[in-house]
Amino acid sequence: MRYPKLFALFLKSSLLVELEYRSNFIAQALMGVFWAVVTFVSVALFFQHTTMLGGWSYGQALVIVALFTMTEGVTQMFLEPNLQRVVAMVRDGTMDFVLTKPVNSQFIATLRHVRFSGATNLMIGAGLIVYAMAQLSYAPGATQLALFALMFGLGMLMLYSIWLAMSASAFWFVKIDNMQELFRALWDTARFPISAYSGVLRALLTFVLPVAFMTTFPAQALLGLLEPETLVIAVGLCALLFFLSMHFWRRAIGNYSSASS
Amino acid sequence: MLKKYLSLGKVSWGLMTEYRAQILIWMLASFLMIIMMIVWLGISAQGAVNGYSSGDFISYFMIGWLVRTITAVWSSWELDYQVRQGTLSSLLLRPIHPIHNEIAANLTEKVLRLLIVLPIMAAVLLLTPATALRLDALSILAFLLALAGAWMLVFLSDYLVGMLSFWTSQTSAFINMLYGLRLVFSGIIAPLAMFPESVQAALRWSPFPYMLNFPTNILTKGLAPGDLMFGFAAQLVWVGVLLAVMRLVWKRAMRSYSAVGA
Repeated sequence: MRYPKLFALFLKSSLLVELEYRSNFIAQALMGVFWAVVTFVSVALFFQHTTMLGGWSYGQALVIVALFTMTEGVTQMFLEPNLQRVVAMVRDGTMDFVLTKPVNSQFIATLRHVRFSGATNLMIGAGLIVYAMAQLSYAPGATQLALFALMFGLGMLMLYSIWLAMSASAFWFVKIDNMQELFRALWDTARFPISAYSGVLRALLTFVLPVAFMTTFPAQALLGLLEPETLVIAVGLCALLFFLSMHFWRRAIGNYSSASS
Repeated sequence: MLKKYLSLGKVSWGLMTEYRAQILIWMLASFLMIIMMIVWLGISAQGAVNGYSSGDFISYFMIGWLVRTITAVWSSWELDYQVRQGTLSSLLLRPIHPIHNEIAANLTEKVLRLLIVLPIMAAVLLLTPATALRLDALSILAFLLALAGAWMLVFLSDYLVGMLSFWTSQTSAFINMLYGLRLVFSGIIAPLAMFPESVQAALRWSPFPYMLNFPTNILTKGLAPGDLMFGFAAQLVWVGVLLAVMRLVWKRAMRSYSAVGA
């Protein structure tokens, strides 16, 4: 009961901060629109020359673009701002204030700050999904919607785990821009169906850095194309990643001995 | 001037070798081109796309990668930071325009990047028999000239956008926007030949194709003499325009600039 209340407070204070910097909010929101267009163009360009991309039609691929945009939104709203703070807090020693609070440290470290401008991406993504459904003249049933919600939720939880692990590694390395760059570079692959890649890269993007579970597989679920075994793998992989990163976070704070004192 | 550059370059080289790992990771930023290449290859496997065979795509993206490496810039971020922190003030006191600092750093870093990119690129091109490059003296000369022009276009446009930080705190949004436009319209995500004719025709009059697509094509598909001349002329005109605007903006900026807190 305490945690939902706390989270509501976090949301409120984040909103107040955001309202303080209105020009920044507007700039960020506009950039969300801009990058959504760039992603859209980079995918649509292929369909000038082909009717299928890795076995996906234009309308189907649009769902992936939509999910890519939505995931960007989640990253900007929750993951990025909190990771930045964790890194800063480790560097200047203010992490102590988080650790001494009578609340789960992971909860504060990953959910304390919310950047509402990221919500534009969520809205653009949702709009694009509706548009794609109209393009395909397809209406998902209740089962598809439920499966989609589940798969997308699992995907976001995996993403969260990856970012949590990055936060935790800040306790050892302090500077983790490199790691973030590396992840960003690989994340760019998620704007296309996983089937557009072959061999090693596909396996890597499915099991090692599971970006396929963030866009391709949820899109399959929505379109009613999900293989049952994918769902099983998703649950297993998500549980594994979440458990590992949580464990890693605990070890990180156990290992932490403040800065300069 | 050369002596000044040598000493500025020496300083940058020292800084850069200090952060070697960083640069290795920056290279990954170019990973997007590799991804795009892989996906285009998936399509061209069923037959040439707008005259591009699989080999053409590999050649295009490899040479494009080289061009992108050489034209990589970040001076706008640097300038934005310096303006916000007020450290620009001390640079302004030097008897040399701060832009030369950035140019020297940029060129020095290229040496390091090339040490990594060139071997990989050469290996891919040599090991893929379907690729073909135009390596006659004339093409190489034209390529190098176009490359210099491309670097100037990218560097100047980036620095110009960076100058916005004299007036706004949201410069990063503009820098990102310029980057996004370059991704799409300079030929990073695809050879511009993949765009609809009308878009290509319109782009001819913008500076973007001459930042990557133009030099890359000289060495890969080859260009008709007319297109080659048009490209060089366009580079020249755009560099001139950018320089003129930059001078004007810089003058106004200096009049209004007062460092923060110092």
